[in-house]
Amino acid sequence: MKEKTPSRIELLQGTLDLLILRTLLTGRAHGHAIAKRIQRTSEELLQVETGSLYPALHRLEAQGWIEASWETSDKGKRAKYYQLTTRGRKQLASEHSKWKAFSRAMGLILSLGEEEAQ
Amino acid sequence: MSSVLRKLGWLGRRRQKEAELREELEFHLEEEAEERRADGLTEEEAGYAARRDLGNYTLVREDTRAAWGWTLLERFIQDMRYAFRGLRKSPLFTAVAVSTLALGIGANTAIFSLMDQVLLQSLPVKHPEQLVLVAERGVRFGSSWGDNDISYPMYRDFRDGNQVFSGMFCRFPASISLGYGDRTERVSAELVSGSYFPVLGVTAIIGRTLTPGDDRVPGGHPVAMLSHSFWQSRFSSDPSIVGKQIVANGYTFTVIGVSQPGFDGVEVGYKSKVFVPMMMKAQMTPRSGGPSGGLEERSLSWVTAFGRLKPGISIAQASASLQPLMHSMLEVEVQEPTLQHYSDYDREQFLKNSVELLPGSQGWSSLREHMQTPLWVLAALSSAVLLLACANLANLLLARATTREREMAVRLAIGAGRRRIIGLLLVESLLLSVIGTVVGLGLAFLGDRALLAAYFTADSAGDVLISSVLDVRVFVFALSTMLLTAVVFGLAPAVQSSQAHIAPTLKDRTGSAVGGKQVFLRKLLVSGQMALALLLLIGASLFLRTLANLENTGPGFSTEHLMVFSVDPSLNGYTDERTKHFFRRLTDDLQALPGVSSVGLSTMPILQGYGWTNPIIAEGYSADPGQDQPAILDEISPNLFTTLGVPIVAGRDFTPFETRPVTLINESFARKYFAGRNPIGLHIGLVDDRTATPDALKLEVVGVVKDLKFENLRDPAPGQAYYPYWQGEKFRFMTFYLRTRLEPRQLMETVREQVRRLDPNVPAVDMRTIDEQIGLSLKTERLVASLSAVFGALATALAVIGLYGVMAYSVARRRREIGIRVALGALQSDVLWMVMQQVVVLSGAGLVVGGLLAFALSSLIRSQLYGLQPHDPFTYVSAAVVLAAAACAAGFIPSWRASRVEPMHALRHE
Repeated sequence: MKEKTPSRIELLQGTLDLLILRTLLTGRAHGHAIAKRIQRTSEELLQVETGSLYPALHRLEAQGWIEASWETSDKGKRAKYYQLTTRGRKQLASEHSKWKAFSRAMGLILSLGEEEAQ
Repeated sequence: MSSVLRKLGWLGRRRQKEAELREELEFHLEEEAEERRADGLTEEEAGYAARRDLGNYTLVREDTRAAWGWTLLERFIQDMRYAFRGLRKSPLFTAVAVSTLALGIGANTAIFSLMDQVLLQSLPVKHPEQLVLVAERGVRFGSSWGDNDISYPMYRDFRDGNQVFSGMFCRFPASISLGYGDRTERVSAELVSGSYFPVLGVTAIIGRTLTPGDDRVPGGHPVAMLSHSFWQSRFSSDPSIVGKQIVANGYTFTVIGVSQPGFDGVEVGYKSKVFVPMMMKAQMTPRSGGPSGGLEERSLSWVTAFGRLKPGISIAQASASLQPLMHSMLEVEVQEPTLQHYSDYDREQFLKNSVELLPGSQGWSSLREHMQTPLWVLAALSSAVLLLACANLANLLLARATTREREMAVRLAIGAGRRRIIGLLLVESLLLSVIGTVVGLGLAFLGDRALLAAYFTADSAGDVLISSVLDVRVFVFALSTMLLTAVVFGLAPAVQSSQAHIAPTLKDRTGSAVGGKQVFLRKLLVSGQMALALLLLIGASLFLRTLANLENTGPGFSTEHLMVFSVDPSLNGYTDERTKHFFRRLTDDLQALPGVSSVGLSTMPILQGYGWTNPIIAEGYSADPGQDQPAILDEISPNLFTTLGVPIVAGRDFTPFETRPVTLINESFARKYFAGRNPIGLHIGLVDDRTATPDALKLEVVGVVKDLKFENLRDPAPGQAYYPYWQGEKFRFMTFYLRTRLEPRQLMETVREQVRRLDPNVPAVDMRTIDEQIGLSLKTERLVASLSAVFGALATALAVIGLYGVMAYSVARRRREIGIRVALGALQSDVLWMVMQQVVVLSGAGLVVGGLLAFALSSLIRSQLYGLQPHDPFTYVSAAVVLAAAACAAGFIPSWRASRVEPMHALRHE
């Protein structure tokens, strides 16, 4: 069977938050830039839906993990910039380790399946 | 927590947040478009592409708004607005519902406010839960001010010898004459031990509190503290009061401080205005309680003693530890001369006395002891009314739900969740509840004020002892009642509505296929209402008849044209001889007044709850050990019984010239001590507390009077013995009774003037007619009877309205069926009976249940009744008949209407 490279991967439930937090670790950014950064860093594999990006940003802000300020962008326009808070950093760390554990577990089980198939 | 706060903060600047969100998304679109332009798209195409990429603009905004976490709140506000509009559209329904609720919640809040202040609140002191009241239980000799009072030496021994208290204090309430500036008045004071303020943890707002150092030497500490409220009202919050002098009972005292706001002593219903060291007892209560004023006599129990438990010690541990201490005190006391004339049996019993510790967090209150049961009864009755009101509302809402069946079906059909429908309907009942509570709080305030005016005013001072101001606790109570009622009456109808069957309801407006369950629920509610109403009616009628019985029995003498007042010259420094002279002069002056037909004096005021008891010995009578009940004694003047109109059935009255020791006894006394003998000429003796030798039967019985009620109207006349007051030794307080030819009211000013003429500084207090005084002694009964009558009437009205509503609705639903019946030949009387049958079944079931409930519950109020049994058949039957008649009348209207249904009209109408 011919393998087909997927042009886009559906985001798993809850991973968007983690991606946003991680992206903001490198510095503050506005919504559009966050989406582009995720897209570029994932080599265009992950496409962030605008429809879920902004609700997620506002939810994270409500939880106090990121905070927003209005500033002038490099093109001279007013834009809403988000940046990590101290609590956000902690949250990122804990989410990150959870994700690592999760993906290791997934990897173990899936590779076991491959061995059996062989 | 902080995220909740943040969300709430955002709520405040909602408009700004909306604008910012729009700007944020616009910025996103522009950035996206620019990127596309950079990829080579035209201006227009780039714009479209960016829009496409964003997706549904409105949806994005809505989803983002949802992240702000207000959805629930927004939905609630939406529901609230809708409910408000709905209620405004049906003003009649709203008016009935709100007034029903307001009456229910108002009645409960008013009663709760009283209960809270009299029964529930703790003292405003440090750790009130550690306080216990120390009382003695068992056989007690000597004189006692109250069941929970102990002697001062006993308090002192407990204080010095116990291991379980971190501190002890004692107190005694006393009415004193207080002079400041040019005014002298009678005020309520509290004699307190030096440890009182330190142990309670009550501080002074200015100056200092009394300390143990102010309470060492009898008569040696003329210092006083003022209560905060008295300082405000009498001294206009004078900040320089500390160090100034006040005159108490003719002695000069220095004010050393003012207590912290809100503290008025430890007795609810008795506001102490002045606090004086216990060591000043002899000065504050002149010629009372022996030579030391009671500080040394073990036979006089008059102080209320409190202890503060050490941390970690329970009441049980403490009383176990105090028992040996108490026993050693009893061992000492039993050797005292006062106890020598008692039998060995009595002394043996006496040594078995025990200590009892009562929870003292609420202090001590005679008001509370008297009001406890009546208040709980009223609370139970008012909650029954509230339950009934809830049932009525549930019924109203069910009826309303029927008319809105279609609306709900439409809502369900276009996709509203059942939960959302229930939520909407609950919000509606909540809104009703809120309005009802607001109105109810107003009613409660007015109701409390009326009750307090009628009940809780201090007799002479005119002080309101309990406040009608509704405090935080009352608001919390009202609020929880409100939420509870909203759920109780709103939930069932809401759930019912949400289960509407969409298709049949939308197809057929009559809804006859789906209403069956609802009708059953409504009938159940109506029967329940009838049961509760009967319960309340029976209660009301028991209490009303108790009041009537008490009023009819009367005190045993004619109360018309009879007035009473009291004087106490000893508070103005009179000696015994001068006091005796004062009484004589006043008697003569009053006797000479035109309009006064006779004057009589009694040391003990009659029917005011006072009783002076003393063990009695009588010629030829020997009591069984432990069986002896002391008689009530009183020192009186000649003519007292003539004045009261109590006939002397044998022998004669006193004359003003008695020189030999003589006595008058009443019939009960004669029956008890001189059964079968003629008592005239026989002798009795009282056991004198101080000399401890029986007075060897020195009082000769000269006459027997008819029984009269003494302490109160309830208790049957006890054995009483009277002797001439001038043969007594101490002269202090005297009550004057005047039989008048005119209305007593018209004479009162003249009488006051007479007293003033003798000495302007000796006020005549508690002046009133005997009828007023009896009214005062029945105030608890009157309060309970009138409130339960109001509750009963309210309950009947609610139940009958409920019944009418259900029957009217049921007839309306069955119009078509009835039309067919009539068309097929049913007579009007058949139809009438068919509907009435339901009325009879519904109310009959309710009456049976209510009767059984009343039968089971009424024995709880046995102690509150007088002259009838809790299961009095007449009361039950008459209450049931009244309610049944009301129910039939209410049921007859819809039945009559049903019988008048025109078949053609009814059938065509569908």
